[in-house]
Amino acid sequence: MHGMKILRHDTNQLSLFVWLLCTSVAAAAPSEEGVNFSKDILPILSNTCYQCHGPDEAARKSDLRLDTQQGVYEQLESGEHAVVAGKPNSSALLQRIFSDNPDLKMPPSHAKRQLTQHDKELLQRWIKQGAPYQEHWAFIAPQQAEPPRVRNRKQVANPIDSFLLNTLEQQRLNFEPLADPETLIRRLTLDLTGLPPTIAEVDAFLEDQQPGAYDRLITRLFKSPHYGEHMARFWLDAARYGDTHGLHLDNIRSIWPYRDWVINAFSNNMPFDQFTVEQLAGDLLPEPTLAQRVATGFNRCNVTTGEGGSIAAEYLVRYAVDRVETTSTVWMGLTMGCAVCHEHKFDPISQQEFYKLFSYFYSLTEKAMDGNALLPPPVIKVPSQQQSNQIAQLESEMQQWEGKLQQTIANFEYQELPLKDDAQEIVARADYIWFDDSPPTGAKLNQSGHPWKYVTAPEHPVFHGEKATYRSEKGLTQHLWQNAPVPLRIGKDDILFAYVYLDPKNPPQEIMLQFNESNSWEHRAIWGDNLIDWGNVNTSSRLRIGDLPETGKWIRLEVAASKVGLKPGSRVNGWAFTQFGGSAYWDYAGINTQTVQANTEFKSQRAWELVQSAGDLSKLSAAVQAAFKVKASDRNTNQKSELRTYFLTHVYAESRDLVSPYRHEVDIRRQRIAEIQKQIVSTLVMQDMPKKRQAYLLIRGDYTQQGEAVESGVPEILPSLPADAPNNRLALANWLVAPEHPLTARVIVNRFWQQLFGVGIVKTSEDFGVQGERPVHPELLDWLAVEFQASGWDVQYLMQLIVTSHAYRQSSFISDKKYQLDPENRLLAYGPRFRMDAEMVRDVALFHSGLLVDTVGGPSVKPYQPSGIWKAVGYSGSNTVKFARDSGEKLYRRSMYTFWKRTAPPPSMQIFDAPSRESCAVRRSRTNTPMQALVLMNDEQFVEAARRFGQRMLTSGGESDRDKLVFGFRSVTSRFPTIQELNIMVAVLGDHRLRYQEDLEAAQQLIHIGESAVDETLDAQELASWTMIGNLLLNLNETITKN
Amino acid sequence: MNIQDNPLMIEQAKLANRRQFFGSAATGIGGMALASLLNPTLFDSTIQAQERGVPAIQPGAAGILQQQHFPAKAKRIIYLFMSGAPSQLDMFDYKPGLVDMFDKDLPDSVRNGQRITTMTSGQSRLAVAPSKFKFAQHGENGTWFSELLPHMASVADDIAVIKTVNTEAINHDPAITYITTGSQIPGRPSLGAWLSYGLGSANRDLPCFVVLHSTWSAKRDAQALYERLWGSGFMSTQHAGVALRSQGDPVLYLSNPTGMQRKTRRRMLDALQQLNAERRSVVGDPQIDDRIAQYEMAYRMQMSIPELTDISRETKDVLQLYGDDVTKPGTFAANCLLARRLAERDVKFVQVFIRGWDQHGNLPGDITSMCQDVDQGAAALIKDLKQRDMLKDTLVVWGGEFGRTVYCQGGLTKDNYGRDHHPRNYCVWLAGGGIQGGITYGETDDFSYNVTENPVHIHDLNATLLHQLGVDHEKLTYRFQGRDFRLTDIHGKVVQGVLA
Repeated sequence: MHGMKILRHDTNQLSLFVWLLCTSVAAAAPSEEGVNFSKDILPILSNTCYQCHGPDEAARKSDLRLDTQQGVYEQLESGEHAVVAGKPNSSALLQRIFSDNPDLKMPPSHAKRQLTQHDKELLQRWIKQGAPYQEHWAFIAPQQAEPPRVRNRKQVANPIDSFLLNTLEQQRLNFEPLADPETLIRRLTLDLTGLPPTIAEVDAFLEDQQPGAYDRLITRLFKSPHYGEHMARFWLDAARYGDTHGLHLDNIRSIWPYRDWVINAFSNNMPFDQFTVEQLAGDLLPEPTLAQRVATGFNRCNVTTGEGGSIAAEYLVRYAVDRVETTSTVWMGLTMGCAVCHEHKFDPISQQEFYKLFSYFYSLTEKAMDGNALLPPPVIKVPSQQQSNQIAQLESEMQQWEGKLQQTIANFEYQELPLKDDAQEIVARADYIWFDDSPPTGAKLNQSGHPWKYVTAPEHPVFHGEKATYRSEKGLTQHLWQNAPVPLRIGKDDILFAYVYLDPKNPPQEIMLQFNESNSWEHRAIWGDNLIDWGNVNTSSRLRIGDLPETGKWIRLEVAASKVGLKPGSRVNGWAFTQFGGSAYWDYAGINTQTVQANTEFKSQRAWELVQSAGDLSKLSAAVQAAFKVKASDRNTNQKSELRTYFLTHVYAESRDLVSPYRHEVDIRRQRIAEIQKQIVSTLVMQDMPKKRQAYLLIRGDYTQQGEAVESGVPEILPSLPADAPNNRLALANWLVAPEHPLTARVIVNRFWQQLFGVGIVKTSEDFGVQGERPVHPELLDWLAVEFQASGWDVQYLMQLIVTSHAYRQSSFISDKKYQLDPENRLLAYGPRFRMDAEMVRDVALFHSGLLVDTVGGPSVKPYQPSGIWKAVGYSGSNTVKFARDSGEKLYRRSMYTFWKRTAPPPSMQIFDAPSRESCAVRRSRTNTPMQALVLMNDEQFVEAARRFGQRMLTSGGESDRDKLVFGFRSVTSRFPTIQELNIMVAVLGDHRLRYQEDLEAAQQLIHIGESAVDETLDAQELASWTMIGNLLLNLNETITKN
Repeated sequence: MNIQDNPLMIEQAKLANRRQFFGSAATGIGGMALASLLNPTLFDSTIQAQERGVPAIQPGAAGILQQQHFPAKAKRIIYLFMSGAPSQLDMFDYKPGLVDMFDKDLPDSVRNGQRITTMTSGQSRLAVAPSKFKFAQHGENGTWFSELLPHMASVADDIAVIKTVNTEAINHDPAITYITTGSQIPGRPSLGAWLSYGLGSANRDLPCFVVLHSTWSAKRDAQALYERLWGSGFMSTQHAGVALRSQGDPVLYLSNPTGMQRKTRRRMLDALQQLNAERRSVVGDPQIDDRIAQYEMAYRMQMSIPELTDISRETKDVLQLYGDDVTKPGTFAANCLLARRLAERDVKFVQVFIRGWDQHGNLPGDITSMCQDVDQGAAALIKDLKQRDMLKDTLVVWGGEFGRTVYCQGGLTKDNYGRDHHPRNYCVWLAGGGIQGGITYGETDDFSYNVTENPVHIHDLNATLLHQLGVDHEKLTYRFQGRDFRLTDIHGKVVQGVLA
């Protein structure tokens, strides 16, 4: 109410009138003629009456519903009829709305929404004219009407123009003439690639006087790698693509292969129906390709949580709700979210129907708690083409070497040794030396008393090799090693031994050998006096073997392993030589054994089999393991062959050495494959549980309050599902793109239109429901929707159709008259003109700077960002709390690759209206704020771009200042400056020069902003002045406007 | 169609109207830019522009409401947001009877089967942890405060402590999103955005909605914040809060690059405005006038913001009031002073965030640090506003996203304990802006576990905040996806009991 009053008061009557005229363009036309139910009546009913007389049964008053044909005509309990066709006087509805009696008046005076006089009269006229009832326009499948005849046929390039011009002519308007070629090539290049044309491209287009130049331009741009990127960018808003989880910790989440998929799909002009099906249900297609599975990332882009304390059931519901809302908004322009808690107030969508759709998305294998992981399952690996090729190549090489190896082994002649009896003596019992000149490799040395000391012959006694150790102390002393990586393996009847030489002049009172198993030294043998107080006497932890041996000669000390508690199978990894007082030499220690030690060489396959089968099999291949599990006598040929091959390849020295070069070749390739495998990225995908999770209607949307069970299904108001297909997501996806579906093609066509013209034919591109805006050109929307479907959902065909229309190509000059009549340019009496989106604003600056890196695809990058943006909000345990700026090429990638932290998106993008990507967005606001001016003026990225752009003007813009300025100006606008414009630039350049000539330091500072190198051969003051020109040109309104 | 019911359409009509002004006024801003060539200092001061009789440009300044629904009691709000959920049991909600319940099980009759988070739902028992802090009554009406809050206690007569604020959300992300935007699910406009949309800005050099982030001294791993908490959701992004930062530029991208002096920037802007005006005259696009105006506002902000954040002219007395921290940029005390300076400049909504209240363990130690961070600054803000006669029309709010449990999380001793999330009741206080001082509103049971009297849902709280600014929370709506959205969804009742 306030609004109306003020409008009357503040606005001059003319503009209000004109504005009213425009907002209801076609609707207002049939004043005294036929009232159109769908255009004129339904909006009134839904806006004013549905709250109590609409689809929501719970809210319905007096059992009257006005949202169905039956409800409108039906006899009411009171005996009255709300509407009697053709009889205004008998229609209770009219009596009520015109009544002055507060008890009868409708809507009741307390209602927020009241009827205007105009509304009342329309309702009256409608009933008088027979009260025809129609469904909401968007639920009736579009038909292609004949393009209307228009007077100004010269301005009709294709049927789009006929529809538009028809409306314009009714308002006594025409299109503007075609825009000049410079404007056209700039407009088209921006619209199809998101980047401006180069001067050379502009010149080439100006010179191409042959017919079809414009079509050739379109074809060229469709082939540009930037076409797919630009088209994908819009889709990523709809898909709510981001690089983090979005909730709580907001950690990194990796789903960029999905972004690459979208770019590829547009680049390859994938038909939109296929584009739809693969994203919603690629995983359910028969034998889905890798790409088709990657496509399903669409519905894994939703925000998820890993917050401690969260309740899983609640989040599983939220995720599924998000997917329904997103899918409905993106393809159907339906605001399903309203039906989460209750029947939809305006659209014929019941709460039950919401949960039927919900059911399609409620059975994912995902976990409710995402674990804040980079790749919360379900995920798949996505090798790049290069990686797949490399792996294939390596595998094929590996096969060749493997073949040679097999061949060699097959040809090798091996004779089993004759054996006396079965198990025994397959490995000869012998001394296995563990210590001689040095302890085992990798063991840790330790001692009490002086450090390890080696002595050599002839000054000292040495038993074997070059050295012995020597120790002389008073009291208890020892030297030892432990943690030997390769242990001694203890077998049955094995005997541990060491050689000792006691100094006859100063013999110890006691000597001791200690053995370490599993970090325990409780295995000791002693000779001599029982003085060392370790372990328990007469047990394996302190076992006396005998008296001190004879002094002055090398004596072999021996102890049976079993006596010091080392059972067969034990692993000894430490050894100590201990003595009490005196002097002693130690040398040559080990085990007398029949057990296979680390480097035992087998000469017999049978021996190896026997030993190996008792040992560790886990390192062997599955086939070899399997063969071992069969009793030797029962092995089949295959199993025998497996064992033989293994033995000859890996064990038997003679053959092993023969094939080892081949093995090496195979191994390095296997290793390389493993390395590549490790680098292969993964991405989030859809995958359903084998058994569906039962969905329920949730009372008031509360996950704890389950109502009736519901099965998957689609709203009744829309066509039904195909009867013969399984009722799953695939069926839903196919249903969306079925020819009879009334919404999908319209909604999609409308968004492409919005992309090119700034506003859709239906302005509320997210809402095609009863409360959404009606199409300003309904016949055109339907015509395009049918055309799009008939073309096989050919996106490029549709884009070509639109961009070749006169409407698109006309000049965007705005006359006062047209502006006053239609400030939003809904009628398209002039060409599109609006500020570019955030990403384009930045990309354009990078483009002019010459810094733009045009690599397509790949993981996200982190260009310049003021410090502290992430830290200000981030959880300290999050891996996105610290922003680490990238450097080099990553600073200059297209903005669609900028890392998107959802709880703190890149600020320069947000300032230019980029959405947060926390939820689906199909329409951006387009503001004009001082913050935007600050970004363009001062952001490091833009200042650096200005500097490099200035440098380009300076070095390749031509000879004179004027040439250089023209070069710069043409770069950003694609047109030549006027004399006045040039003079303004010349003057400001002069002033900047004066200023920087006075202040070299300032010049130096300015030209060192940004990471990219400064051309030191250039005069700093001159470069600073041109940097300011770059800054000026990048801030120009025209630079950031598509016109 | 009913235009008076459709805010979008009204906004659009007004925009058209404004554009028309720029378009039709022959001199327009282009003319101003030209004039500034002759006098480059012309744009330096808004006053000078006004003296010349040029109407002030107020981008996004006018709100959707042409007049308030009721006479406004407050002109602005300063919201001190305690992120992480402070423990009401250790600060305001005095429960002397709990001493005898030390380490006893919370009676089932109290919990009554209510859901609790999975952090404590797996604990074998829910043992009662009485507060270790002493409580005393302060002010004429004897409001209870614990010993942690000596400064707040000194302004007891100015504040209304609400003990019964409640919410449905039991975890931080949904709960803080809920109280700041009215929905647990991301995507809705925040309270400040609603105010910007509804009431517009009263200051043409500063944003309508400013956010300040504070440093904190309890454990470092504090709960995260999210831009959505001060975002504009489905509204136009101009309504989003602007963060005033303590590091780097106070407003993002505010400073000219090094090596570019203000004079140089002015010269560049003059040329820019001239070029834009040239183009405007050829292509007829009134949007260009808007763009020109925005650049001038940006230029003015480059002056006005540093002036705002420069506290060198504050008196010693004032600085002492806020305590030693006030001179350390980014501290809560410094932000409270900044909030007052913003209030003086008629910024409609200032939200000061401080994190660090999420005390699942080691609560007594951490809450002591946090109270030292906020106690003096918050109290000083009230005193300072009062001595400037601004408290009467400035509404100060202190509170978090939910409360904490009476039962202990983790190990329990008399001196050390932790508390889990508790959404069923917690304390928020209001002061100034038409709020009755010196009262305690609502009552909880002996365990501070359930509301026994006068519950205040967070929607009620938000409805009350809007009400004090003269806005009927049921009438401030925004049409999106065919539905008229409100900050309070379909809920909310103004809490009459706390109004003066």
